[in-house]
Amino acid sequence: MQKYISSHISIAPLVVFRVLFGFIMLVSTIRFAFRGWIYELYIKPDFFFTYYGFDWVQPLGEWGMYTLFFVIGLSALCMMLGYRYRLFSVLFFLCFTYVELIDKTNYLNHYYFVSIISFLLMLVPAHRNFSLDVVRNPSLRLQKVPAWTINIFKLQLGLVYFFAGLAKLNPDWMLHALPLKIWLPAQSHLPLIGWLFEYEWSAFLFSWAGAFYDLTIVFFLLYKPTRWLAYIAVIAFHLMTYFLFQIGMFPFIMILCTLIYFSAEFHQRLIDWAKKGWHFVARRSKQVSNEYSTFAYQPSRLTKKVLATVLVIHFILQVLIPFRFLLYPGHLFWTEQGYRFSWRVMLMEKAGHTIYEVYNPETDRRWEAANYDFLTPNQEKMMATQPDMILQFAHYLENYYQDKGIKDPEIRVKAHVTLNNHKNKLLVDPSVDLTKVKRGFTPKYWLNPFNDNQENWSTRN
Amino acid sequence: MTFFERFTFSALLISSVLLFSSCGGTDSDTDNNSSTVRSDMLEQTANNIILPSYQAFRTEVTSLKEAGDNFAENATEETLTDLQDQLKNTRLAWQHVSLFQFGTAKTVLLRTSANTFPADTDQIEDNIDAGDYTLGSISNQAAAGFPTLGYLLHGQDETNQQILAAYTEAEDAQKRLKYLQDNLSFIANKTSEVVSAWEENEGQNFLNAENAGTDTGSSLGMLVNAMVRHYERFLRDGKVGIPAGVRSAGVPRPTATEAYYGGYSVELALANLEATKRLFTGAGYDGSSGTGLEENLDALGHEELSDDIITELDQAKSALETLQDPLSTQIESNNDPVLTAFQELQQVLTLIKADMTSRLGVTITYQDNDGD
Repeated sequence: MQKYISSHISIAPLVVFRVLFGFIMLVSTIRFAFRGWIYELYIKPDFFFTYYGFDWVQPLGEWGMYTLFFVIGLSALCMMLGYRYRLFSVLFFLCFTYVELIDKTNYLNHYYFVSIISFLLMLVPAHRNFSLDVVRNPSLRLQKVPAWTINIFKLQLGLVYFFAGLAKLNPDWMLHALPLKIWLPAQSHLPLIGWLFEYEWSAFLFSWAGAFYDLTIVFFLLYKPTRWLAYIAVIAFHLMTYFLFQIGMFPFIMILCTLIYFSAEFHQRLIDWAKKGWHFVARRSKQVSNEYSTFAYQPSRLTKKVLATVLVIHFILQVLIPFRFLLYPGHLFWTEQGYRFSWRVMLMEKAGHTIYEVYNPETDRRWEAANYDFLTPNQEKMMATQPDMILQFAHYLENYYQDKGIKDPEIRVKAHVTLNNHKNKLLVDPSVDLTKVKRGFTPKYWLNPFNDNQENWSTRN
Repeated sequence: MTFFERFTFSALLISSVLLFSSCGGTDSDTDNNSSTVRSDMLEQTANNIILPSYQAFRTEVTSLKEAGDNFAENATEETLTDLQDQLKNTRLAWQHVSLFQFGTAKTVLLRTSANTFPADTDQIEDNIDAGDYTLGSISNQAAAGFPTLGYLLHGQDETNQQILAAYTEAEDAQKRLKYLQDNLSFIANKTSEVVSAWEENEGQNFLNAENAGTDTGSSLGMLVNAMVRHYERFLRDGKVGIPAGVRSAGVPRPTATEAYYGGYSVELALANLEATKRLFTGAGYDGSSGTGLEENLDALGHEELSDDIITELDQAKSALETLQDPLSTQIESNNDPVLTAFQELQQVLTLIKADMTSRLGVTITYQDNDGD
């Protein structure tokens, strides 16, 4: 235990991790801005699906949002360079997380991952070597850090992979090769591997291989003899997902982050190469090996206590949160109660069509809301399959009609949802007036149960 | 462990190669695979549905322009009737292209330009009066295109004699005639731009290998998104739901029908539904059968779903057929069948928007985004 927490080891892996994470975040932020998504996702919509308890997190308007993203990009750059790291790592975590909390529509496991990693980075002295901070103040330079500062990242990544693997151990994924059976044939035009996807066994092969990969990769990365082979598997796996699915930067983030499992010597070599390269570019020659002091990281006792408490709570939550779905009745994929924040990645094919039926008891008139008048196509799509969002939009419509002078509109929903090749059926009980239902974490009694015996479209299933 | 991993890896590789060679031997498999069916479908859609539909539409638009010129040269009740008839033919042909709003059609705003309804009659009269206007500008969206022509050529409860007089005897007759002709040129220019682009390279691009997937930006993705979007907003809502009051707190809006002045709204809706069905079944413009979305679903093992979509399409058609033109009168006198038709159209929407896209692996999103 001592070995993994307080023994002093080289700072090199932590420094490389900081640089690479800052770099990939900078690239991601620039990509996000260039694709016009700041406008599309945070300025254009009229309505935002806030998280329960975080309704105060609101978009900051056009200039506010652009500024926020500028701060995120700048913080990523400063983290990479190790410039005023303490300030910018905190800024990055706060701004990034704020943006993610604005709208559930945009929830992605990899954004959650970024929030967590930046939270952990904020707690460690990742800037105390190979950084502008050290150039400004050489007394900051450290050669060794306590092992926990690096192991928390290994543990976090391990949890991500392991829970992603655990989530795949469900009948649809393992026994029916769903949703890959749907997604892979859609890629059958791809060169080299496309032909594989015409065959049903390839969906099984990929499903099982994916589950095996997620469950075991961390162990192969930890074990030195298998490390390189495992890292090749990491690259192959994530590149495959990059080409097959619209998954953005996530594969590259993971490919870079998993380098943390490599040895201190490996990371030291990376740093030395980088320094040599820099000296070559800057036409300066300097003895590389003499630059390191022998100081070790020694936080105060109070700091230690606070850090230990925060980290213990953090990891207990990390282990418990993915299991919270057990507290809810019903089929997890159907009700999605306890679905988010649990590393359930690319796990199901779900789509829906939501009809909001409005009734004004005063005039005895009925009509339907035009969802597309209020929501972006992306919001409409995400809402169609997620009960908490369906309820939020019902409340939004209630307010909208009340503003129009309808005192007590009743709003019922016909939410047709199809899950993993099952014929669409109603997710929400169509007789429940959603204006009378409160938001919250209690079980959603107003959902229809998912019935395994229901009709099935697919003859192959 | 190294040995174990290497062994597993090699075993997987070898077994996949073996399986491939054994499956590759039988050609029945390769004829039927989803990739081939998908490319057959795209080819059928591009060459035998979209292209001929566009060309037929352009022919009608050209005839419409000629009929307009004839009327301008020699305004008689006969040339007026010809022009009115040709307007109807053109609007019917439009129903077969309106669902393909992607590519140039989208960038030049063909739908908004040609068919924004209801027409803004005040704006039209203001434009005629001022004699100074830019068709295609945002403020003139509802004062241009087919609905405007409908107003100009049919008027509100006017006899053809009265209409003729507006172009011959009225004080602003020349201005009105010019507005009519400017509108005809406006539509003709937009149409030729879109159809030429399709003939020149868009049709080819549509079939390009790099657009062969199902993700956002692929040909199938674009086509299905355009189809569903059109169906939802412009067929179900625009042609039926909105006039029936479904979007206006239950208060019917009979004047919001597509051909309010011409009085053949139901016919147009039926033609549009027919075009949707043809796109789904892969039937060519001449009615010949071919590979469509239906066959795509079948190849993936979802025959039951494609059968259900066809059944629902037919039921929606039957429901529309019970409606009497002019639709505005039907709505005023007996709105219930119109509401029933709306619900029938909606049944189809659920199947194509949720089930069909989900089975095909097409994402319904008109914007690019990451998933996880």
